[in-house]
Amino acid sequence: MKHYALAFATSIVALMSANGSALAQTAGGVIDVATIGEPPTLDPMASTADLVGIITQHIYETLYTFGADWTVTPLLAADMPTISEDGLTYTIPLRTGVTFHDGSEMTSADVVASLDRWMRIASRGKQTAEVIDGIAATDEATVTITLKSPYAPLLSLLSLNNAAAIIIPEENADQDPLESYVGTGPYRLEERVPDQYIQLVRFEDYASRDGEPNGYGGARLQHLDEIRFVPVPDPNTRIEGAVAGQFAYVDQLPVEAYDRIAGGATEPVVLAPFGWPVFVMNTQEGLNSDLRIRKAIQAALAPEDMMLAAFGSEDFFSIDGAWYPDSYAWHTEVATEPYKPMGDTETAMALLAEAGYDGSPLRILTSRQYEYHYKMAQVAQAYLEAAGFKVQMDVVEWATLTQNRADPALWDIYITHSPFLPEPSLMGIMSDSSPGWWATDAKHAAVEAFNAESDPAKRVELFADVQKVIYEEVPAYKVGNFNALAAQAPNLEGVAPAPWPYFWNAYLGDE
Amino acid sequence: MLRSALNRLIGMAIVMFLVVTIVFVIVRVTPGDPAAVMLGPDATAEDIASLRERLGLNAPIPVQFLTYFGGILRGDFGQSIFLNIPVTHALWLRAEPTFFLTVFALAIAAAVALPVGVLSAYWRGSAFDQAATMLAMFAASIPSFWLGLIFMQIFAVQLGWFDTSGYGGPGASFAERMHHLVLPAVTLGLISSALITRFTRAAMLDVLNDDYVRTARSKGMSEWRVVVRHAFKNALIPILTVIGLTAALLISGAIVTETVFGLPGVGSLIVSAVLRRDYPVIQGALLVVAGLYVLVNFVIDMLYLLVDPRVRY
Repeated sequence: MKHYALAFATSIVALMSANGSALAQTAGGVIDVATIGEPPTLDPMASTADLVGIITQHIYETLYTFGADWTVTPLLAADMPTISEDGLTYTIPLRTGVTFHDGSEMTSADVVASLDRWMRIASRGKQTAEVIDGIAATDEATVTITLKSPYAPLLSLLSLNNAAAIIIPEENADQDPLESYVGTGPYRLEERVPDQYIQLVRFEDYASRDGEPNGYGGARLQHLDEIRFVPVPDPNTRIEGAVAGQFAYVDQLPVEAYDRIAGGATEPVVLAPFGWPVFVMNTQEGLNSDLRIRKAIQAALAPEDMMLAAFGSEDFFSIDGAWYPDSYAWHTEVATEPYKPMGDTETAMALLAEAGYDGSPLRILTSRQYEYHYKMAQVAQAYLEAAGFKVQMDVVEWATLTQNRADPALWDIYITHSPFLPEPSLMGIMSDSSPGWWATDAKHAAVEAFNAESDPAKRVELFADVQKVIYEEVPAYKVGNFNALAAQAPNLEGVAPAPWPYFWNAYLGDE
Repeated sequence: MLRSALNRLIGMAIVMFLVVTIVFVIVRVTPGDPAAVMLGPDATAEDIASLRERLGLNAPIPVQFLTYFGGILRGDFGQSIFLNIPVTHALWLRAEPTFFLTVFALAIAAAVALPVGVLSAYWRGSAFDQAATMLAMFAASIPSFWLGLIFMQIFAVQLGWFDTSGYGGPGASFAERMHHLVLPAVTLGLISSALITRFTRAAMLDVLNDDYVRTARSKGMSEWRVVVRHAFKNALIPILTVIGLTAALLISGAIVTETVFGLPGVGSLIVSAVLRRDYPVIQGALLVVAGLYVLVNFVIDMLYLLVDPRVRY
């Protein structure tokens, strides 16, 4: 309990300092941020990896971003778009006087070229391109996006920082892979030495929005001279670095290191809740193409024991069948009855008998890249076997998993996780082509209604229908909510706990 | 001697061809897809297929091999998929920390092992010998990542004498960069000293009982002169062998130590390349490591000829 209290206090202090007193600080200072590794690219359009988004969100900016309450807020756009009555035309006013790191001024031509590139190479852009009829520059400072059908997730997709719709100079938009790392962000790339550091320095001509910081949006303050992202792939080394105080911020630490970090030179920061671990079902082929089998799995699993094995203490997870926790507008308890904290073996056995299960092995594809995936799989195996399943654990390393999950012949369940995404449409299972290949009429009806509705309040209600279909058709099993642990130097202020930590509002205070 | 060197060089070429082939095949049959890793967790199958095509990964394996082998003959190891730079350039960028780490670790290993091994043999059966033998066995049994973490905990976290990881930030001086190598070099050096100690002791025991040592003593020569000038010099061949092999092992054995200490060396490059399935880098790095290994063996063989004129190949 003391852990939770301390973590809560840490988070609150950080949040308050991020939003309240940053303006009063003087500029200066260099911080080292320990990350989980070297990003595969510095082109956030080309990758959906969180690490790419964390680093490059300081270099590039998008038209929109997410505010502290996870609502969409303008960034390079001057304001929220004007949406036509039929929901098909988005007129986006652009800010003027925004300069790129190469000194050129951003215009609508850059925006159109960048969004074209996004639709051409970014996975989220390609997905969006299917509903986009055209993007045009109305004038120097206005862009119009025309849709084939109403598509409410558009602004969220334009806001996300991975597979991101970043705005780059028009002359760089043909580059694939990107070679000129020129954006409009508060920090520009000074030097990248792979596996050693990525050095970002303050962009002196940065045009910040007016007002106060608001999550990823609002004013972006440039107190720090430099931000250096240092890859430290070994988690034990990250822990030692945090304890020794070598870094101003250390990202993604194993939660079991909480006490050790609390006794060291940096302070633990808990982001609660951070995200969900998910068992994705292969609905296309094999055992799990039978809905009754998937329902039997849903009944058999005991999330409380699985999360306890994975995260060690209730300070770091919560049992929650709702796909979004109650701190999100999307939270709803609708249809969560099948989610039983300790499982329901008898129901699972009955469903299995009804399905005529023939004893074929249920193949769980997992990895030890994230140890908690593996621990959850082990507990799941015990409960599934208790219900009558024969379970085959296919434990591979992450690169193999990412390859094998694309082949429906190779697995029945694969385990993954995600931070809570601000827009439900970004969830993997919402796409028919995502591994799992969930594509049913009931899904399409619920998701299409959800995507077509532009009124935020009505969308919240419609998400309940989506969650209901998820529970009825079990394309995936959300195990619970888990927290993330990071560490922060006592004199580093202005950093709000966030799934993709950012440092443009950070400053160095007194020890 | 020239003929011996020529024979050895032909053997080296055959070994290197086998290494190129075996590494290429192993890397290609290992599951995992660089395109999937690069594009991130939410990439679609179409995106992955498209990137594979662009990277040339969809060509038949024999075609890929011939392209790769032809490149090697021209000194072109290919382009890193992730770093988007030539593999030779990537290796060159990583050479400094690995080179100095190897040199320092070997120096520490030799500085510890040679005197301890010689004295252990000289005082055979004494308390010193027993303690040295026990410590050598202990050091040989310790995993380098564990010893590294212990040193990190004591000297970096508690005493604050060193950084826990890294190789210095932008503009770090040579001295600062070398400072980052102290803990990893001591870690590797102490572990490597175990093998050299045991070989030195065994080689010295062999020669200390030889007739010429007894003769030297009977001529009234000082013990120092007997041990160092006569016995140690003649024990050098097996010791040189093990030092050479240790050097080669250090180049590849630094993989774990570099990873633990976050050093951007060849070892950590190999690890990250394997995790990302950066085929050209894996192939290039392993080829260089194997090449160095073969080269070190060649140099040792040549040193044999110089140290002991009786040796013939």
